[in-house]
Amino acid sequence: MTRPDPFRWISILPVNLWLWLWVLLPTLLVVIVSFASRDPAELIAWDFTFDNYTRLADPLYLQVFWHSLWLAGITALLCLLLGFPFAWWLARLRPGPRALALFLIIIPFWTNSLIRTYAIKLILGKQGLINTVLLQMGIVETPLDLLYTPFAVVFGLVYILFPFMVLPLYSNLEKLDHSLIEAARDLGAGRWQVLRQIVIPLTMPGIVAGTLIVFLPAMGMFYISDLLGGAKNLLVGNVVRNQFLSSMDWPFGSAISITLIVLMGLLMLAYFQASKRINRAGGIHDSTL
Amino acid sequence: MNVKKWCALLALVGVNGLAQAGEQVVVYNWSEYIPEDTLQEFKKETGIEVVYSTYESNETLYTKLKLMKGAGYDVVVPSTYYLNKMAKEGLLQKVDKTKLPNFTNLDPDLLNKPFDPNNEYSVPYLWGSTGIGINVKNIPKDSITGWQDFWNPKFKNQLLLTDDVREVFHMALRIKGHSANTTDEAQIKEAYEYLKELMPNVLVFNSDAPREPFLSGDVSLGMIWNGSVVQSREDDPNLQYIYPKEGAVFWMDSFVIPSGAKNVANAHKFINYMLKAEVAKVCVEYVGYATPNKAGKALLDDATRSDPVIFPDKATLDAGEFHNDVGDAVLIYDKYWQLLKAGK
Repeated sequence: MTRPDPFRWISILPVNLWLWLWVLLPTLLVVIVSFASRDPAELIAWDFTFDNYTRLADPLYLQVFWHSLWLAGITALLCLLLGFPFAWWLARLRPGPRALALFLIIIPFWTNSLIRTYAIKLILGKQGLINTVLLQMGIVETPLDLLYTPFAVVFGLVYILFPFMVLPLYSNLEKLDHSLIEAARDLGAGRWQVLRQIVIPLTMPGIVAGTLIVFLPAMGMFYISDLLGGAKNLLVGNVVRNQFLSSMDWPFGSAISITLIVLMGLLMLAYFQASKRINRAGGIHDSTL
Repeated sequence: MNVKKWCALLALVGVNGLAQAGEQVVVYNWSEYIPEDTLQEFKKETGIEVVYSTYESNETLYTKLKLMKGAGYDVVVPSTYYLNKMAKEGLLQKVDKTKLPNFTNLDPDLLNKPFDPNNEYSVPYLWGSTGIGINVKNIPKDSITGWQDFWNPKFKNQLLLTDDVREVFHMALRIKGHSANTTDEAQIKEAYEYLKELMPNVLVFNSDAPREPFLSGDVSLGMIWNGSVVQSREDDPNLQYIYPKEGAVFWMDSFVIPSGAKNVANAHKFINYMLKAEVAKVCVEYVGYATPNKAGKALLDDATRSDPVIFPDKATLDAGEFHNDVGDAVLIYDKYWQLLKAGK
């Protein structure tokens, strides 16, 4: 038995209190409200019902979920395809330039993402940067429809979420043991084989973490679909916002939020299971090797 | 303690933090809706301190009052159908017109509207409309006369609609000859079917600043608020306003006193002050929307007073419609709105 260290308790207590009061408690309230029903006069009627969850099975909401999943999936895939080579390059840089490159990735975070989204509008608009250049160079005759399209939504999501993919990948690739790659080359593996059988399995935790961190927020970023998609491409986040603000149906909005949280929990669970399996089979810590 | 009490407590702490001893009136209003000087003048004249805060949407105002059960503020300024909804739900108290001698300054044509018969609960402050915005550089102005023109296939992927379910359904309901305040699901469904045909023409929904896509050149035709066009005249005179022949959406923002107001006498003094002709004049010049204050309108310069965009004639006004609270039918509207946006 170790004696409880008072310093440890005192230093952890405020954080714990903070999380209990402002994360756990509100989330519990949302869970409770999701089982209540809408009341036009009192906002919420405190009866117990599963209606809000059964309503989610309506084809309309399934379609919104599906559309959201699709947009978020494409976003995660693009972030991965762009982020992996970039993180690889980053991990190979000398310490000086590497620190600078990391710094440059972080800098845009100092500006509010809403403002950066407005800036994207200026770039994609009919009289925006891209169209002006294309028109001036005579490549197109009429301005392209870039803004207010699904393309613009994915563009915005990839731009905002890209660093969340790069950072976990980078921290994984940095730790990658190069002697393993050299050994594979010595044993006659081609470049593609090295990538597929050595690098990707070893960086799988980073790939999964990055994908999750990009995928889940992408479904909720309603302001991106409002501003860049012209509020036409409904994300799950838009539906939640509408339930709280326009329909005044807090219980249903809560049920959608909880469903998203559960979905996230399931994905996290899958991730832990997968990483456990990866570590067991063929990873550095594989005891059977 | 349940969630509502928690929120109410937090909100009350917020309000009381601002408040100080002495005579005061707590006003909660749309942002940039009363000139700062007017509040100062009011204090100078009456000695009453105005504790002033602002909101961006009716929903915010409604939710806050609802959670606090009508307490915390002495004067708030909801629009048309929110006023109706709040009165029905007991969030407002009746105004005592004997304490408002300046009430007679108001134009009788703009009183006694369906959302508050006999103005029992409300005193109109400013009013405006949602109609058609057009960039006359790209589209000839006389080619557009009503909402119906939006359905023309040549505007594929070009229109701006406000991101407001009631305003968008207003267009289709009026074209189909129904009231924009209908609660009949069959009529709402009919409007939805018709709006589905409009969707290929819609480029963007925007209710934060509908003039912005017009000014940036991304759209040349769509729905807009008349005040936005008035405010944009200096930036781009090509952006103009049309009252659609099927009837514009009219709305009015009115002073009301919440049921839990603490300084009721001061609230009346404040409203009466805002009804002064000179004050009403200054407010129109500052905000760019129309005043229901006849005496105040008379003080405006000729150009502003005879501007048909700000002050439409009676025929235009009668052709349009003010929105009422539709009660639980809001769920029907919302269902078809989601269907429309999900493209089904």
